[in-house]
Amino acid sequence: MSINKDLSIRYLGIDCENPFFLSSSPVGGNYEMVAKAYEAGWGGVFYKTVGVFVADECSPRFDQTSKEGLPWLGFKNMEQISDKPTEQNFENMMKLKRDYPDKVMAATIMGSSDEEWRALAKMCEQAGADLIEGNFSCPQMTSHAMGADVGTNPELVTAYSRAVTETTKIPFVAKMTPNITNMEIPAVAAIKGGAAGVSAINTVKSITNIDFENMAGMPVVDGKSSISGYSGAAVKPIALRFAAQLLQHEELKDVEISGIGGIETWRDAAEFLVLGCRNVQVTTAVMQYGYRIVEDMKSGMMHFMDERGYSKLEDFIGLALPNMIPAEGLNRDFQILPDFNVKKCIGCGRCYVSCYDGAHQAIDWDEKKRKPKLNDNCVGCHLCLNVCPVQGCITPGEVKWKEGRQKTGIKIKRNYD
Amino acid sequence: MSKVTKAKYTSEASFGFMHRTAMEEAARCLLCYDAPCSKGCPAGTDPAKFIRSIRFRNPKGAAETIRENNILGGTCARVCPTGDLCEEACSRCGIDRPIEIGKLQRYAVEQEKTFKMKILKAPAKKKAGKVACVGAGPASLACAAELAKTGYRVTVFEKEKKAGGMLTYGIAPGRLPQAVVDHDAAQVKSLGVKFEFGKKVGDDIDLTEMDFDAVFIGAGLWGGNLPDIPGNSLAGVYTAVDFLKNARTMKEAFKFGNKVVVVGGGDVAVDCAVTAKLLGADDVRIVYRRTLEEAPGNMSEFQYALSLGIGTTTNMAPAELLGESKLEYAVFNGRDGKSGMKISADAIVFATGQKAEDLSKIMPMALNEKGWIKADAAGKTSIEKVFAGGDAVNGGGTVVEAVRAGKDAAASIIAYLEKRGVKQDVN
Ligand SMILES: Cc1cc2nc3c(=O)[nH]c(=O)nc-3n(C[C@H](O)[C@H](O)[C@H](O)COP(=O)(O)OP(=O)(O)OC[C@H]3O[C@@H](n4cnc5c(N)ncnc54)[C@H](O)[C@@H]3O)c2cc1C
Ligand SMILES: Cc1cc2nc3c(=O)[nH]c(=O)nc-3n(C[C@H](O)[C@H](O)[C@H](O)COP(=O)(O)O)c2cc1C
Ligand code: SF4
Ligand code: SF4
Ligand code: SF4
Repeated sequence: MSINKDLSIRYLGIDCENPFFLSSSPVGGNYEMVAKAYEAGWGGVFYKTVGVFVADECSPRFDQTSKEGLPWLGFKNMEQISDKPTEQNFENMMKLKRDYPDKVMAATIMGSSDEEWRALAKMCEQAGADLIEGNFSCPQMTSHAMGADVGTNPELVTAYSRAVTETTKIPFVAKMTPNITNMEIPAVAAIKGGAAGVSAINTVKSITNIDFENMAGMPVVDGKSSISGYSGAAVKPIALRFAAQLLQHEELKDVEISGIGGIETWRDAAEFLVLGCRNVQVTTAVMQYGYRIVEDMKSGMMHFMDERGYSKLEDFIGLALPNMIPAEGLNRDFQILPDFNVKKCIGCGRCYVSCYDGAHQAIDWDEKKRKPKLNDNCVGCHLCLNVCPVQGCITPGEVKWKEGRQKTGIKIKRNYD
Repeated sequence: MSKVTKAKYTSEASFGFMHRTAMEEAARCLLCYDAPCSKGCPAGTDPAKFIRSIRFRNPKGAAETIRENNILGGTCARVCPTGDLCEEACSRCGIDRPIEIGKLQRYAVEQEKTFKMKILKAPAKKKAGKVACVGAGPASLACAAELAKTGYRVTVFEKEKKAGGMLTYGIAPGRLPQAVVDHDAAQVKSLGVKFEFGKKVGDDIDLTEMDFDAVFIGAGLWGGNLPDIPGNSLAGVYTAVDFLKNARTMKEAFKFGNKVVVVGGGDVAVDCAVTAKLLGADDVRIVYRRTLEEAPGNMSEFQYALSLGIGTTTNMAPAELLGESKLEYAVFNGRDGKSGMKISADAIVFATGQKAEDLSKIMPMALNEKGWIKADAAGKTSIEKVFAGGDAVNGGGTVVEAVRAGKDAAASIIAYLEKRGVKQDVN
């Protein structure tokens, strides 16, 4: 690797060689897998959720969504927590910590009662885990005493968080479900119970596709299916939203957040970091592409830092958070008209179709030359810019000030890739 | 060492799309407004529309768009020179490379077969007019289909045993599998068009004595073209038409030797050379009298030939063929007046253009000096009720042009019949 930058970060008091962790799921489900992930370069692993309950899984249990030939836009799973014996899982964690002392081992656990949470916390301590994550968020448990049903109940979140934090000094992270309107409520409840951090998001309740052969959702299990968790690229916007809302909340300002959901590239990861997350976790992209994706996450992040002159992650963590403001706070005094580069334009007419059918009929179409021409109807919505298939063809152009509004210096995004 | 592709005579020269790959390619399409590709098709196939159907997960709708506009949609998907037509017009050329329209069309037509769709329907109520079509090549098939869709009763007379014309007896099956031609032809038959095979109009039957209200002639160019040079009657000397027809009908049983020279610079020459190679000849070469820049053939076809180990020699014209009763040597003279070569050969194939047979035997309409039928853009000949189109009129074009000519002539025939008053419906 020719580029070399410091990606290390202190997360909940633990020194991590980088912020890229596997999130709790089958990608970190046994000794061999986690060992391979560590070797590949992941900074740490949230081990597949362990409970006293051992899952009995259905088959098949995955599905994915696609668009325009692009598969894995989103991914659906109907898995529960680990289907391996509890003792074996903790033994794996212990061996992994012994063999890879510099890597971070986070144990993700889930109980269905106070006693279970305490027992599991004890086992985490014995296994030598660096962190404990409480899974309050799996949306497809066969028991309502566990998972997302608990995560939407603030009293239970506080109680179970407390059960863990009273049992052990190991920092506790509460993993949140996005299947809720205000994630801040259970997050605050977890902190009240002694949690040191919050991680979000777990999967989004979904029906990905309907199979007409069986008239059932996908995946089809003996002619039936269930609503269950959606993850991968499609959920990143939802995950970023929750991360920002948690980080901006008065009572959570100083809580360290781990961002999860749809991360595939260094860029996705950097987006969570600039909002203020100090750790990121990945599952779906690893299921699709393997552990090796961390190589480009690391290298890409280093190049990003190099380009922008950052020497450590802290230099940019949280930079974008203050710029996420409520809709009523936006400057609405101007319109940025699109600029059409006639030389680059290939004459496909997509801008014309979209502006006519979906915006403001602000483009006239020259049938002979096959070129768009802007007329006075333009409101600067930039739908055209978003549909044009040619890079750098439609760009932000003239700034038009609304009648009677004060001209000021404004910041404009110029580069679209 | 160069890697020469080994293939069988009937094995397909290119892969088609599967559902996923078709979707990926359709996703590259920009779904243009007033799409240029759709204006690039002589037969009026609407690529932008059928690609949009594929993109919006309606492959059956895509198949309908194609079949409704182009009765030879399956064939055209395989053999159209798309690089000069729809794909050349494609907006995406401005970004990287055109959408593979031909291949998407092939995929869409395959859905028709997969789902056993029956897209075209002839009206139950027939019209009184009866039309004869001469030849079962692309021009006649297109004309017959249009007429049948309108309710006219059509009989196609074909001298060979199967429909397709050059599609069945000419074009190499690696590029155009027989099953594709048969499937297209079956669509015409399903419209109620009657086929009479093994009937050569002019020899076996006399149309002037039959009571057809109109006649369409799509007889193509089936006279071989041998250059007037010494030795041209030796055994082992073939016209392209005969050589390809022997290959298509006899396949591996067609024995023509191991060293083959093909003379010509068009796609037909390439097809002959490829056919010879795939049927087992070790030493096959194309000799063309001009340069490759001047050759009418598609560069991609020459490249395909090269990939099979067939080289091309340019600026050499045939001068003399030597041998006792059988060809032994072919002698060529250079275009520069200085060069020359003598090649030992078992067979020589002249792909130097087809000539018309005596077309006036079919109907006594006017011909031009080359023996092609004189007809206007609407297919009208010197005889009021006789129409013509395709190779027999344009002197040798493409399948899609023949389809276009057949469709246009059908429109003229319908107008003519309606004007004449043979339009009352019969049951
Ligand atoms: C080797 C070769 C490769 C080619 N490759 C391509 C290609 O890649 N792409 C492309 O677009 N075009 C290609 N062409 C050209 C294309 O095949 C022709 O332009 C097209 O077939 C012309 O159609 P048509 O209906 O006018 O004539 P034809 O296809 O020649 O059909 C005429 C039919 O009429 C029949 N017939 C003739 N006389 C009589 C009679 N008196 N009575 C009854 N029946 C009669 C014939 O047997 C034949 O079936 C190729 C041609 C050849 C020879
Ligand atoms: C197959 C599968 C199994 C999962 N199992 C668990 C689990 O046991 N415990 C847990 O907390 N989250 C589980 N998750 C959720 C992920 O850890 C993660 O929160 C979610 O998938 C979003 O991240 P991603 O988009 O990177 O996959 C699972 C996800 C998948 C796809
Ligand atoms: S900015 Fe909006 S209104 Fe203006 S031309 Fe583009 S699409 Fe139309
Ligand atoms: S979308 Fe872009 S390339 Fe297409 S016509 Fe409009 S400006 Fe030109
Ligand atoms: S011109 Fe090309 S990009 Fe545009 S619709 Fe046709 S195939 Fe698609």
